[in-house]
Amino acid sequence: MSLDFIIYLIINTAFILLIAPLFAGLIRKVKAWTQGRQGPPVLQQYYNLAKLFRKEIIYSPHASWIMRATPLVNMAAIMVAALFVPLVFVPEPVGGIGNIILFLYLLALARFFMALAGLDAGSSFGGMGSSREMSIAAIIEPTTIIVFAALAIVFKSFNIFVMFASSAATGALTTPTIILIGISLFIILIVETSRIPVDNPETHLELTMIHEGMILEQTGRNLALMELSAAVKLTLLMALMINLIIPAGLAVTLTAAGIFIAAILFILKGSLLAVIIGLFESSMAKKRFFQLPSLFAMAFFFSTLIIIIEVFA
Amino acid sequence: MIESAFVAGLVRVLFVCIIITAVYIISARNLLSIVSVYAVQSLTLVVIALLLYLLEGAPVLIAIAAITFASKVLIIPYFIATIQEKIRIKRDIQFHFLSPTSSLFVSMGLMLLVYIVLERVMAATGDRDNLFFFGAVLGISLMLMGMMVTFSRKRALTKILGFLSMENGVLLFGLFVTELPFIIEFLIVIDLIILVLLTTILTVGLDSTLEDYHKRLHRFHLWEDEVEVR
Repeated sequence: MSLDFIIYLIINTAFILLIAPLFAGLIRKVKAWTQGRQGPPVLQQYYNLAKLFRKEIIYSPHASWIMRATPLVNMAAIMVAALFVPLVFVPEPVGGIGNIILFLYLLALARFFMALAGLDAGSSFGGMGSSREMSIAAIIEPTTIIVFAALAIVFKSFNIFVMFASSAATGALTTPTIILIGISLFIILIVETSRIPVDNPETHLELTMIHEGMILEQTGRNLALMELSAAVKLTLLMALMINLIIPAGLAVTLTAAGIFIAAILFILKGSLLAVIIGLFESSMAKKRFFQLPSLFAMAFFFSTLIIIIEVFA
Repeated sequence: MIESAFVAGLVRVLFVCIIITAVYIISARNLLSIVSVYAVQSLTLVVIALLLYLLEGAPVLIAIAAITFASKVLIIPYFIATIQEKIRIKRDIQFHFLSPTSSLFVSMGLMLLVYIVLERVMAATGDRDNLFFFGAVLGISLMLMGMMVTFSRKRALTKILGFLSMENGVLLFGLFVTELPFIIEFLIVIDLIILVLLTTILTVGLDSTLEDYHKRLHRFHLWEDEVEVR
């Protein structure tokens, strides 16, 4: 492991922890604007996290060790996954870090523990949330695998680092396959981060909640960890999309100026994507649960098409 | 003069637009947006025809672009939007034979089939320019996808949109492979306009399914502007 790589690990982790709540706050702000409200400040997520980290933790009397372990396992899995997606600087890959299938299953591990914790506290909302989350996970997983397979076929590598490096080298924005991949990744992003039309991240009051239902019983520091990990996951998937589709400015050599420019550009591109997500969410209603497969089928269709094009042509 | 590689790249991107619109028409449930997506699809065809003109320089392509723009981007969507306002239906959520999801899967298979078949056909003629080959595959696939919309939807209005999108497939295929004579293209467009005009006259039945259309005709005989239909 070279020095470059160690510096990469530090920069990437610090940067993603720093900016993750920003994008979540921005999406919320855009949604508020489209509804004609002023909305919370963009930095509200940071204040929330700071407050939650100071609060005490209360466990339900029915809760087992799962409830205690979940926030940590969840955060750890997501942070390891965060190492797989370079945000501003792409080093040479080392070992299995950057493997796209491992990345996918780290996210699945976090999701699995979150669903267990939803059941563990013994509240009926948590159980319902977990059951829905797992049903959706079971349907979306084949789609995600196909999308990632399409990515691997287009870039001829399983490693996210190599993909980013080659997209940064070509800067390809407008090839047909990249557009189709962008759409598929966007759908995956929406589903994985529980946003409208799959789930509504704003509400705790409806019987339709999925992600919020599962973390309903979390309190204090644990809740802060769950929220932070959700924000980091959102940023990760956004980064995957941004650095594949608009890689301009992504640093491939380690220089202070390059990383600084890449960071600024990443924040700009990420904010743009956050605004797009906010507008997309505002323009639709939540779908009925049994209509969701048609959304996944679209991502599945596009990525299969990519595979067909790449394999046959 | 614009570089031909650049134009070919643009055409490929537009192919993707066409696929996206076709998928949308198959799976959307909001009628109003299906109509506007159909208009976008036709507009994409217009742009493709213009780009092909830059590549090949055949003036007939300009004429095709012009009539497509006038008829399929402006007139037909306008008429359908008018009907829609009249019958006040916004959604089409009834399907038979295939749900949108399974139509997508079927159309995936169809596209692959078309690809394989056309590859053999084109290999025999020796004319296998990449761009034109893809155009042909996409044209036939669009036709088949339109066909699927036509038989999987229950509402008559969406059936018509499926038919129109099928015709877009024919046009695409014609643009890339066989150079349909202009007069035939023109006649097809006239046919389409007449079809849509007829449907505006038959508004009464359009918010029904074809099965209970007959009943509707009797029930709605009080509707003043449609009396002569009866």
